[in-house]
Amino acid sequence: MAGLDDVFGDLYASIDAVLLFSPSGSYYERFSDVDDLDVIVVGTENPVNADVFVELPLAFDDIKERIKFGLEGAIEQDLIEDGDQLVCATSLYGDEIDTVSRVRADAETHTGIYDLFVKSRAEPEVIKAVLELAIELGKKGQKGKPVGALFVVGDAGKVMNKSRPLSYNPFEKSHVHVGDPIVNVMLKEFSRLDGAFVISDAGKIVSAYRYLEPSAEGVDIPKGLGARHMAGGAITRDTNAITIVLSESDGLVRAFKAGELILEVDPEAY
Amino acid sequence: MVEWQTLINEPAVIAAAVLALGLVVGYLVGRLNEELLQASGVPEAVEGTPFERTAQSIGTSTVEIVARLSSWFIYGIAVLTAIHIAQLLDTEAFWLRVTGFIPQLFIAVLVLIIGFIIADKAELVVSEYLRGVKLPEVSVIPKLVKYSVLYVTLIIALGQVGVHVVALLILLTVYAVGIVIVGTVAFKDFLVSSAAGIYLLLNQPYGIGDEIRIGDQTGIVQEVDLFVTKIEDDSEEYIVPNRKVFENGIVRMRD
Repeated sequence: MAGLDDVFGDLYASIDAVLLFSPSGSYYERFSDVDDLDVIVVGTENPVNADVFVELPLAFDDIKERIKFGLEGAIEQDLIEDGDQLVCATSLYGDEIDTVSRVRADAETHTGIYDLFVKSRAEPEVIKAVLELAIELGKKGQKGKPVGALFVVGDAGKVMNKSRPLSYNPFEKSHVHVGDPIVNVMLKEFSRLDGAFVISDAGKIVSAYRYLEPSAEGVDIPKGLGARHMAGGAITRDTNAITIVLSESDGLVRAFKAGELILEVDPEAY
Repeated sequence: MVEWQTLINEPAVIAAAVLALGLVVGYLVGRLNEELLQASGVPEAVEGTPFERTAQSIGTSTVEIVARLSSWFIYGIAVLTAIHIAQLLDTEAFWLRVTGFIPQLFIAVLVLIIGFIIADKAELVVSEYLRGVKLPEVSVIPKLVKYSVLYVTLIIALGQVGVHVVALLILLTVYAVGIVIVGTVAFKDFLVSSAAGIYLLLNQPYGIGDEIRIGDQTGIVQEVDLFVTKIEDDSEEYIVPNRKVFENGIVRMRD
């Protein structure tokens, strides 16, 4: 097997750090014995209690996306620098780590997904919950038919002042938070309604049926997206909110922040 | 036939029969207990507690110990009854004391076992709850909870077997009163705020998006929770304790 080391040794020769994607406890332990090696654990949660940890917002199924967002998070946290040579160990076929690839960190491909989670007003868990909800809604639709939805998350006070009700607010005097077990069903039902959902920083669902009235000046979103995306993009320029939009026509989930499209995911890919 | 009759009347034979019956009943009750405890989900409830782990390491389990205990209790009664019938020991006073004492001892042991499990479980739950707080000092609290529960258990168990526990009870009272006093002093503001918060959440005199003034702070409401209201103007965000809302009143701004 020494021969194989010669061939594959290039993969991990002179690297700056190792990124472990959701390692098991014993797997992580084995790395703590290796000297002079920066180990960064990446995953949706941190069950091994690693000191150096990058949180992934979603359990990306696509390995390229997973590594891309892992690297972006690590760059954002100043754990690695542009041009670093890295080895990413992740799982492709099973739950165990079975794949190793060598990547060069590239600060250029900045999507801003970490800004979306870490530097937004709303709490990261709330954004994550809404994103997951939008993805689930996109996957299943409402009674098999594709639906569209618009969630405005964070800075709810300002958003409420920049929007008007289309009809009675079904969430009036209720205290529902995203992430409550019943909420997914409720929001799925209410996604039939027109207008936007407004969600506060702490995840309280403030209102449904809101007609957003931002000034759409200078909002640059890709051509071809409809009024829902335009409204969603524009409100993030006027307020400190972020919006998560599920498109009815192409089924993609998009996230806007500060008037810019910063994330586009296909619900079918999860 | 007569021989058989006399044999029946022989105390030793009756004692043996009682003993045998006791053994069978004891075994059955033990098994039944085990089944009942299994069915009611006790193994899952005690999983992970140090008591269960110790039990596992000596090749048994909490359920088994409790089940065995009930068996032994019945064995014990059977043996004593047998001794009494066979008139091996002819001390009436001893008999009276023993019959009174055995159930108490049984309950005391049971209380101890349950107490240990509750204490361990409480420690686990509290430490799990506090895991988000990454302060080394916080790890004292789960221990404190555990030993408080153990202390109460010990008092109950000792009281059960007839030891005088008045001094220990006084200590417990002092301890409890101390906790209550410290708690009320420390959390007074929280209590007042949360009482106000309940009113605010139920009646919603103002909601997210309304512009209000509380005391000197004017702004748009961003969040209302049990303890605080967050209001925000163009440059500043105020986090106002809910008791202030009641002290100062709310001004709703209309333009």
